[in-house]
Amino acid sequence: MSQAILLVIVLVAIYWVAKIAVKRKLKTRSIPGLERIDEWIKEAAKLNRSVFFTPGTGGITTPDTLAALALLGYVAKHCVEHNARLLVANSDPQVQQLTEDMVKSAYAKAGREKEYSTDMVRYVSTRQFAYAAGVMGILRREKPAVNFFVGDFQAEALQIAETGRGEAIYQFGGTTNTDQLPFFMTTCDQTLIGEELYTAQGYLSSDPEAVSRLIGPDAGKILAILLILAGALLITFGNSILIALMEL
Amino acid sequence: MSSDKKKMTRGELGLQVIIFSLGFFYAIVYYVAVPGTVNLQAVSDQLLAYLTAVLTAAFAIGVINLTRVHVNNIKRKRATWRYSVILIICLFAMAIFSMIASPFALDPRATVIPAGVIAFSTPIWEFLYYKILVNINSTIFSLLAFFIASAAYRAFKARSLESTILLVAGLLVILGQAPVVDLVWPGFGAIRDWILAFPNTAGQRGILIGAALGILVFSVRRLFRYPWGD
Repeated sequence: MSQAILLVIVLVAIYWVAKIAVKRKLKTRSIPGLERIDEWIKEAAKLNRSVFFTPGTGGITTPDTLAALALLGYVAKHCVEHNARLLVANSDPQVQQLTEDMVKSAYAKAGREKEYSTDMVRYVSTRQFAYAAGVMGILRREKPAVNFFVGDFQAEALQIAETGRGEAIYQFGGTTNTDQLPFFMTTCDQTLIGEELYTAQGYLSSDPEAVSRLIGPDAGKILAILLILAGALLITFGNSILIALMEL
Repeated sequence: MSSDKKKMTRGELGLQVIIFSLGFFYAIVYYVAVPGTVNLQAVSDQLLAYLTAVLTAAFAIGVINLTRVHVNNIKRKRATWRYSVILIICLFAMAIFSMIASPFALDPRATVIPAGVIAFSTPIWEFLYYKILVNINSTIFSLLAFFIASAAYRAFKARSLESTILLVAGLLVILGQAPVVDLVWPGFGAIRDWILAFPNTAGQRGILIGAALGILVFSVRRLFRYPWGD
């Protein structure tokens, strides 16, 4: 029950802070990686090289994958706009259908359905290392100008990233998996760390209100930090009221 | 994304109602247990089972996509068309032998498929699976060691304050992990434990708390509005 109460408190706090942020037109801190996406896509188009995107090995119920798909929408739209060829590789067949639909829709919205071809969105394999080998092969053969690998990644992340690095490709990574994040940091030009992945869609929005709304989750974070500090202090002085409240 | 302000069409509204109802139902089941005759958890489990069945059908579409992409490669004689031929042969050979002779075979009691065919296929499947697939898998996995070495070399270059801290912390953890160093000075083990238990855990938890809140807000937004890709 306490979990439900905490959830409601956090959601209300996020909602109100977001509302205030929208009213006062507050801006979030800048995320340099996201600001360069457009620039990279334009450069890929100029070089006549493709843009590669993979949402990782997560399934359709994985939050990181869903956040990656939100970003794919943006990347696909801008690839169509700038005439850059987009290549998408999937590990999960359900995600494959979604990505195929998204890329097709991006072309359809621009009235250029005929430019879409089946080999733009590919299913590689559900097996982790078969997928890794497939993606490494695509990076080596197709030599894209940009590699977006954003979503849920495990051990294959470093294999993909190092291959991209070897091919001198601009690399844009993003995940919430803390085991893989160090590898992303060392091999990518830009990395979305943890929650930045979930704010990407709002951040890239042309709607200033959507950008202001991103400040909302920070309220949740401050609340969590305050709870942690209060809990640590209380337990240090032998008071376990917060623990008792949480266990209700 | 600026489409957040666009009005939904009737179809989108209907879809949104379904998305919201199912998402809200799953959230409620997690947080609320209703005592009595209605077992919400059982309903939720049943729905998940249906979902799994629907999602499994998507595998066939994955295979169709793979086949289309590589058949096109072969037809147009693209630079790597030979690899596509190998892929198509391996894909279907493995699928056929798996259906006949693997532990998940369609007809293990030989009611439809002749026993002779199963007996013939079993050693082939075993060879393909245990002698080829498992070994290739291990080979690709073991490549990771070399990739880690090259990534570590790049990360551990002391170019800035941050990378110097990373280098020192990394070295201390490595020294603490190596058994032979214990003979020189056992204190490295304690330093390693401290680094892993405090700065490392604190950093990881910070990221996890942020990500959890991000997921929460992202999910709530999805429940109320479904604007993928716009």
